[in-house]
Parts: sequence; C-alpha cells; structure tokens
Amino acid sequence: MTIDMKAMKLKGVERYKQERDWFQMGLNACRFMPGEEFKLQAQLLEILLDSKQVVVDCVENDQPFIGGYFCNAPELFHAMNLPWFMLMETPFLAATAPYLLADIEGSEEMGLGTDLCTAIRLPIYYIEKGLMPIPTCVLGLLYPCDGAPMLHQVIEHNKAWKDVPIYCADPPYTSDERAIEYFAEELKRMTEFLEQHTGRTLDLERLKTVCEESNRTYTIWQDYNELRRHVPSPHGWEIGGAQAFAISQCFVAGDPKCTAWFEQLYRVGQMRIERGAGASEAEGWREKIRLFWFDIMPYGWIFEFMPWLESTFGAVIVMDMFGNFPYTLIDTTSEETIFHDLAKRNLIDSPMIRQARGTAENFSNDIRRIVEDYKIDVVIWPGHMGHKDGAATIGIMRDTCREIGVPFLHIGLDLFDKRYTSIDEVKEKVTDFFKGMGLA
Amino acid sequence: METGIRSAAFQTFIEATSGIMNSELQAWKDGGGKVMGFFCTTVPEELFTAAGLAGFRMRGTGSTSTELSDACFSAINCSYPRHTMNQALEGHYDFLDGLVCINSCDHVRRVYDNWIRKLGTPFVKVMSLPRKVGQPQIDWYFDEINKLRKDIEAHFSVEITDESLRQAIRLHNEIRALQKQVYQFRLPDAPLMTGEETLAVMVAGTAIPKPRYKVLLEEFLKDMQSHKETHKGHRARVMIIGGELDDTEFIRVIEEQGALVVTDSTCYGSRLMWRPVDESYDDPVKAMANYYIYDRPSCPRMYGDQPRRIAYTRELAKEFRVDGVIGERLMFCDQWLVEHYMTNDDLKEDGIPFLAIDREYLLSGKGQLRTRVQAFLETIEGLRSEQS
Repeated sequence: MTIDMKAMKLKGVERYKQERDWFQMGLNACRFMPGEEFKLQAQLLEILLDSKQVVVDCVENDQPFIGGYFCNAPELFHAMNLPWFMLMETPFLAATAPYLLADIEGSEEMGLGTDLCTAIRLPIYYIEKGLMPIPTCVLGLLYPCDGAPMLHQVIEHNKAWKDVPIYCADPPYTSDERAIEYFAEELKRMTEFLEQHTGRTLDLERLKTVCEESNRTYTIWQDYNELRRHVPSPHGWEIGGAQAFAISQCFVAGDPKCTAWFEQLYRVGQMRIERGAGASEAEGWREKIRLFWFDIMPYGWIFEFMPWLESTFGAVIVMDMFGNFPYTLIDTTSEETIFHDLAKRNLIDSPMIRQARGTAENFSNDIRRIVEDYKIDVVIWPGHMGHKDGAATIGIMRDTCREIGVPFLHIGLDLFDKRYTSIDEVKEKVTDFFKGMGLA
Repeated sequence: METGIRSAAFQTFIEATSGIMNSELQAWKDGGGKVMGFFCTTVPEELFTAAGLAGFRMRGTGSTSTELSDACFSAINCSYPRHTMNQALEGHYDFLDGLVCINSCDHVRRVYDNWIRKLGTPFVKVMSLPRKVGQPQIDWYFDEINKLRKDIEAHFSVEITDESLRQAIRLHNEIRALQKQVYQFRLPDAPLMTGEETLAVMVAGTAIPKPRYKVLLEEFLKDMQSHKETHKGHRARVMIIGGELDDTEFIRVIEEQGALVVTDSTCYGSRLMWRPVDESYDDPVKAMANYYIYDRPSCPRMYGDQPRRIAYTRELAKEFRVDGVIGERLMFCDQWLVEHYMTNDDLKEDGIPFLAIDREYLLSGKGQLRTRVQAFLETIEGLRSEQS
C-alpha cells in the first residue's frame, strides 16, 4: 500500500490549526480581561500562537521544522533558526479543548489501554491517526519515564513517519560529571543530526547570543521566584510556574521576547508585593495555606479545581514542580562550556528530568528545599497515573515530609482525564485532609 | 508441577523455581559462599561468577501480599517489585550479601531507593543502563561494568582478573549452549517438553550457583536421552513474548487449554541465552558491554531496537513453527504495552494471530485467562481450517 505523503502532511496539520484557533479564542477573551496578569497571559498566548503559525507555514511551504520533546536544549535549535513543536503539546497546552476526552477514548479503543500515561497515549494516538504535523525530523528524549522511548519507537514504527529521521538523546541515570559529559556528547550528536537533515548549520556566535539571552531569562526567573517567597505569595497557580517553563523551554528559548515576558512577570509580581496584595487580590479571599504542588498542573480540569482550592480554603500553590529549580547559567566561553552547561541544565536542573530520571534524592531534596524556602504548609503529590517512578517514591516523599513536620497528601489521579478520579472525589480527599490536619 | 520427566536434576530445578531459597543455594551458603542478588537480565552476572559470588535473580515467588511494601509503592506500580520488596521486608532475602539494581523500568529502578532506606544489605549498588544500543552506549556501559567490578573487589576483598572474567564468560556461555539444547526438545511436532517444564529449567538457572547448575543441566540433558514421552494432540504451537515471567503456573494454565508453548522471548526465556557473549575480545569487559547493550536480544526499554526485536520474534516463530503468539505483560508496564501494540501490527502482516494478556505477578483471574486462551485457540483453528 502506498501512502500519499502530501495528503498525510496536510491532514496532519488540520488538528494543529484547530488547536491554534482554540488558542486564538483564548487570546481574544484574555484581551478583554482586566489586570496585569491577563496582559501577561495574552502575551504568552501571542507567543504561543506565533510559534504555532510558524509550524503551519512550514508545513504549507515545505520548510524544515522539528517535532521535539522537552529538555532537549532548545537553545540549540533556536540558534539554528529551526521552528519546532512539542510532540506532547496537546495534553499539556490544549487539555481543556473539547475534543480531548474523545481522543482519550479513541486511544483506548486503539489498544493502548488505560494505564499508560495519558500524555504519552495521546501523542501516540495522534501519530497513528494522522492528526499530528509530520515534521522534517524528530528529536526525542529517552527519559523521564518509560513512556518516552515507547512514544519515539511508535514514531519509527508508523508507516507515514517512517522516512522522518529521528534522533533521541539518552540521558544517563547518574548525575555526576561523567554523566554531564556523556549527555553533552549526546547533544553534539543531536546537533550534527539536525545539520544533516535540515540543511541548517549551527553558528557558534549565534549560539552564544542565544545562550546569553537564555541566561538573562533564567536570571529574571530566579529573581521572580524570590518574590514568591513573600507571604502572601504574589501569585498562585495561574501564572509564573508552568507558563514560565513553557515559554522558556518550549516556545522561545533564548529569545528577547521570552526575556521581555519574564521582565514583565517580575514587575507585576513586585507591584503586587508593594501594594501588599496576594494571589487573591481581586477575588476576596486571603492566603491561609501555602501549598507545594509537586507535579504538573492538572491541565485537563484545572479551571474546575484550582479556583475552588483557593476560594474554599485560601490554599495557594506557591510552588509547583515546574516552578523553581536552580538552573545552571550557561558559560559561553567556548563551544565546550556551552554544551557542557546545556547538558547540565537539561539533565539535572529541568523539572521532571531532574526528579524522575535518576535515583530518588531529588524528590526528597526538592521537598526539603522548597518547603523551607517558600514557607510551605502542605506538600501535595497529586499522583498522576503516568508517573510510576514517582508512585514508587511515595514512601520516601512521605517520610521526608514526616521528618520536616509538613503534612503530605497523595491523591491518585489523571492530570488530563477527569474521569480517572472525578473532580468531586479529588475535592473530597483534599477537604478531608485539610480538616484532618486542622487546616480548615 | 505434574511432569513425566524422571530426572533428579529436574526435581532440583522445580524446587529452585518454586521458592526463593533452595537446597543448592543453601548448600552454597553453608559452605561459606556469598550471594549477590540482582534485578534484570542486563546486569552482567558473569562479574559475580568471576568474583566467586553466586548470582541470584530477584523474584517475589511465594509472596502472598504486599502489606509491607505498600508503604513504599502505590497501587499503580507493577506487582513484581511490590511482591519482591515485600518478600525482602519479611526477611526472605536476608541471605543476600549484596544487591545490584538497575534502571530497567520505572518500577524496578525504585526498588534501589526503597531498599537502601529500609533494609540493611551491606552492599547495594545501582547501575546506569543506557536506553540506546549504539557505540557510545556500549562505551558507557563498559565504564559502568568496570566501576561495579572495582566496587565488588573493594567490598568483598577479591580480585576480579581478566582471566577470571574470561573463565566466567566461558562458563555462562556453556550454560547458554546447554539451555539452547533444552529448547531443541521443543522443535518436533511432538515435543519432549512442555513450556511449563522448560521455564522451570530456566528459572532454576538464575537461582542455583552457576558451576553447580551447569552440572545439573548436563545431568538433566543426559536423563532426557532416555525420556520417550512426548506431547501430542495439542491444538496449537504457541510462542510467549513479554517480560518478567517466572511463574510456571501461568504457562500451565495456557497449556491446559490445549496450547503448547514451544518457544518464547521473555526475561527468563530465550533472551537469556539465545546468543553467547563473544569470547574473541581481548578485553572481557568490552565483550560484556557489547553483549548486554547490543548483541543479546533486547527488551522494549532499548530504544530504536524494535525492528531487531520483531525480527527475533519472527525468527523464533518460524524456527519453532508457531501457530500464534501470546504477548504477556504485567499490569502498569508501559514498555510491554506499547511493544505488544506494535507487535500485533507487525504479526498481522505475517498472518500470525496475536493475543495480548495483562496479568498480575501473582497469578489471578485464571478463569478469564482460560477463556481468552480458549478463544485464541479457536481463532487459530478457524484460520487453519480456512487455509486448508
């Protein structure tokens, strides 16, 4: 059977366009909302929409672009002027889109079961059903979980994608200097692969510029994270954590637009502190419980849960898994130092890769550090059904919290599919827990 | 196990398979021998043999609950590490002098983290196994093996020389060749052994000190020369593919329905021994690194190797003339779930029926398993009659 690749490529971008339009709707709504935070959201959506449009243009004009993963040192392909989209974009960015639950059902019907991480199942479904843009080449990453290499192997196995070259960087399990050097070599091989398959070359001076810009971004991000130590925290779940990660790692890494967004984020946070306002400023409740949400946000049902958490208990997500890590600034002295530090940042500093790849120390160390730095009252491990290594670390996290005297809650849910554990059930668990701990 | 095989060695294999401690391992311990537990087939067991240690593949055999390990794991974790950890917390692994873990999967790799916090085994290490099969990964694993070699030397006050490693590789290769002979008994239309019996031989090889196991295996092969009872009248010749399958009863339930398991690609099956370590290398550690990363048939955790894995399945399916393939996986295993999804697709092209079965480590839902296998056998028979 021959495959009409041109038709497949055009079909693959249809859903992507639908998603773009979904975000355009969100942007239009944001523009009408009052407050500096909504302006920030609008700026973020504009950047996101730009990056989506570039991918659409690439497909339609036969220009090179990448299907990528997170923590693959995006500064490298930004420096090569290569547009990219994340293979797991839909569950992370468009999880509230109206088609998501039907897609999850579709993936189950296809034979992918119900216990494979939804964030892996969905991209496999999109690839197999021809609902994802077919890129010039794919960059994968073989951690943080068992699902990642399986997703990449499905890409290689799929008949429509079989001619798409793929390179997967292999993060080692250890975190010492030898591991950083090995991963730096993996990133160098990735760069050679990109040069070979896209016709673009990596210019060292351009890479230095991108990395210096990226350093500026991360420096401001760290400054902003200092603001969140304030009581009350200037922001909660709506801004500053996941968005900061998305913009710096997924949309415009090492781009002045990215830095400008962080500058504005910092200014807005600072202004709130100066006027003594917390995350609740416009909504009439006050911060009572400072939470560390130790995972990704529940994107599939975030709007049905997070505002409830705040308004019912005054519980503010002061920090989450994607919010604050000691990112390495890139030493731009030479190609060697750049690759070394990019390897360190993406292997050891970046969220999820930091905790889920490697032994469990970072689960307990991050809990200790964040609880102390951010005056955390409660640690919540949501227990996403896909995070199986984390599920096997539950006892270690609980023991850590016990040692430092902070209540710990494990829920057990699907961050993208609200049918796995119903929102009512999650709310009930949280309510019982807060009451049991004397926090409500 | 009901068996027609009259062999004292085979009885020893059955004993070793049905529990954790066995009489041969106990004799080794009583004689002052030390035992190194390890997880996963990618740990270079030859290193332990060269150090004078007996390697023991970790199992949860005999476990009846996860009451103790539930404090470490969650309900979405695989029942294999949960039961194995539970056995350890109950003291069944107190005989270990050391343990080597590896990042084989998201569930098993966390045994290391929990073990070092909960148990007092004097030597516990974790190896970093790459996820690809290229030369940089072979080089990485070469360093990992050498690192472990030094750690063992320091802790156990032994010297692991290149010569002792070469001897260990030779011994393990000889065992692999003998095990391959056992598999040959299953080639005829009326095989001498069932799948259940074969699994017992293989599991025992991971629980009995290697020099002794080799002797027993030779005795067993000799005994089999006079064994005339063959297995006839089965409805289909079946291959099993999957991961951690050490439970002979699981195979028995399948075979009781009329299937005969004639070959496999599992962690206790052919993948352990189908290919030998290349003994022509000057450096035995290089030989092991090359073997464990590239030469031996891989499992789905090794990215980019799916084409070789399906080729291996096809090769065995052809050689053993299988009528259908059963893919088993332990619940919550992402790797085998997606692998089976792809295998199903590939075997469809070959016209080989495929059945995916999810299971728990402790055999449960036998009724459902029987029904599914029966339906699968009917499918195979239906296809056969269509073709004829």
